[in-house]
Amino acid sequence: MTILGDLDALSFVPWIRRHAAKLGLSQAISHTSSQRIELEVAGPVDLIDMMELGCSLGPFDVWVETIHRTPVDGGGDQVRDRPS
Amino acid sequence: MPARTPVGPIALWRSQSGRAAASADRCPHRGMRLSHGFVRGEALSCIYHGWSYARAGNCLRIPAHPGLAPPETIRVPTHEVEECDGVIWVAVGEATAQPPRLQGVVPLRSLTAHAAVAAIEAAAGAKAGVDGFAWQPQSKLQIRLLLVPQGAEETLIHVLLDDDSSLSQRIAASRAVETLRRTAEDLETKATAP
Amino acid sequence: MTHDAMIDEWYPVGLFSQLDTNARKTALMGRPIEVAVEAEGHARVTSGDGRSLPVCVRYGHVWSSLGKPQKDLFAIPEADQPGRTLVDVGVIRVRCSPLRAVENFLDIAHFPFVHTDILGAEPHTEVQDYKVEVRQDADEVWATQVKFYQPQAAKSASGGITTEYMYRVPAPTCCVLYKTCPPRPGEWDVITLFVQPLAEDLCDVWPWMALFDDATPMTDLIHFQQTIFLQDRSILENQIPRLLPLDPGMEIPTRADLTSVAYRRWLKRHNYTYGAQLVAQ
Repeated sequence: MTILGDLDALSFVPWIRRHAAKLGLSQAISHTSSQRIELEVAGPVDLIDMMELGCSLGPFDVWVETIHRTPVDGGGDQVRDRPS
Repeated sequence: MPARTPVGPIALWRSQSGRAAASADRCPHRGMRLSHGFVRGEALSCIYHGWSYARAGNCLRIPAHPGLAPPETIRVPTHEVEECDGVIWVAVGEATAQPPRLQGVVPLRSLTAHAAVAAIEAAAGAKAGVDGFAWQPQSKLQIRLLLVPQGAEETLIHVLLDDDSSLSQRIAASRAVETLRRTAEDLETKATAP
Repeated sequence: MTHDAMIDEWYPVGLFSQLDTNARKTALMGRPIEVAVEAEGHARVTSGDGRSLPVCVRYGHVWSSLGKPQKDLFAIPEADQPGRTLVDVGVIRVRCSPLRAVENFLDIAHFPFVHTDILGAEPHTEVQDYKVEVRQDADEVWATQVKFYQPQAAKSASGGITTEYMYRVPAPTCCVLYKTCPPRPGEWDVITLFVQPLAEDLCDVWPWMALFDDATPMTDLIHFQQTIFLQDRSILENQIPRLLPLDPGMEIPTRADLTSVAYRRWLKRHNYTYGAQLVAQ
């Protein structure tokens, strides 16, 4: 999952970890910058949808422009195109 | 039903099999009060979108997505509940002891006073312990009162009476406690008047 | 008070048909205002400090603003379509954020539980995927292809049908709903929710409808909508927190909440925060 926007990574990264934990999803954040956060998320597609939806709003000091999802080695995920 | 504890409002409910349960009064989905929800079987469901929770707090079902098995991590915080001698006890935080036994008495009624615990204690001339206090407003009338603060200004009074009390004793006890409430509320008003 | 971008928007402040020269005392975003219709038929809105506020009359209501509206009130072309019955439903006061009232109106997943046996019924609880977009030209949130099984979708419906909905948010406290019209396939019934923000946690909700239904008496149409909104009020007054969270850190949105999330994103983008809670708690 790649999150693009005006991201104050300081507040957003712990927020992402908390939200993933609440959804029971395992995550690994591989890149963070003020414009882009990349993470791998594993779990059922409905829950990954919920993760994407939560992150698209995020904390107030963050603006998420768009979120791209790419399936990783058949983990049961599928790509949904969502307008943002 | 809604109830208040020193750590905030809770939803108190009884499952179909008769077991009492308590959870935070806020659905983790969109914040609706769970005390407005409905009980089916062993689960409490939120009235807004029907998300249902087990007594242990884990989410069992999200009706908008019937194919999804909610993970264990979607849950509402719960409180330990014990029911004994006709009284439901809710633990605030980790319970360190069993609730006190109140043998030989039965619950009569509960009422809310617009007065702090201290004002009721002063009106009754007694000091409440974990098992409340015994109060004898007149001879042959032994009442046990349990006081639960409801915020800073209100107190919920649970009234218990000897289990062999006659109808006239029950009526007398009920009236005595109403009088106690009025006295305590007058004390409270005087104490807080400028 | 507020330097919120919402100050320059239009808000409903009364039903034109119910106003006369006796001023209606009400409030807008925490300020007292008075609304009157003068003898020659002009609506007039005055703020507590005697200032004349901007006015327009549209869709049965008088609209005003504490600021300087940059554009005309949004268009509802169906309002002028011949053959429609226009229904002034009246007012329902709700102790909640005006933004919460709109968000609830955008939600279909609650139908089986809140509007049981009218707008929804178990076991028909699943929310099928639908489309949501912000239309850039008009700067409006749209949800389309929203489908839901309904036991009695409208006063004019007999028996259960799968109803299709479209939602449109043209202003921060207004929502226009288009739904399948039982007597006229191919046309859409229009049901709107115009919300007057009295304070950040208190609002007057003014539903208004433009329907193809010449069979149902007006009072029945009004009662039907009022029943629905009173059911919604029992939810809206019992959500925590009372303001609308723009950070879902204490919530768990799902795909069924896509319209809600898009609405909140749109509010956040425009700094429409009167009635919003910025930090999750």
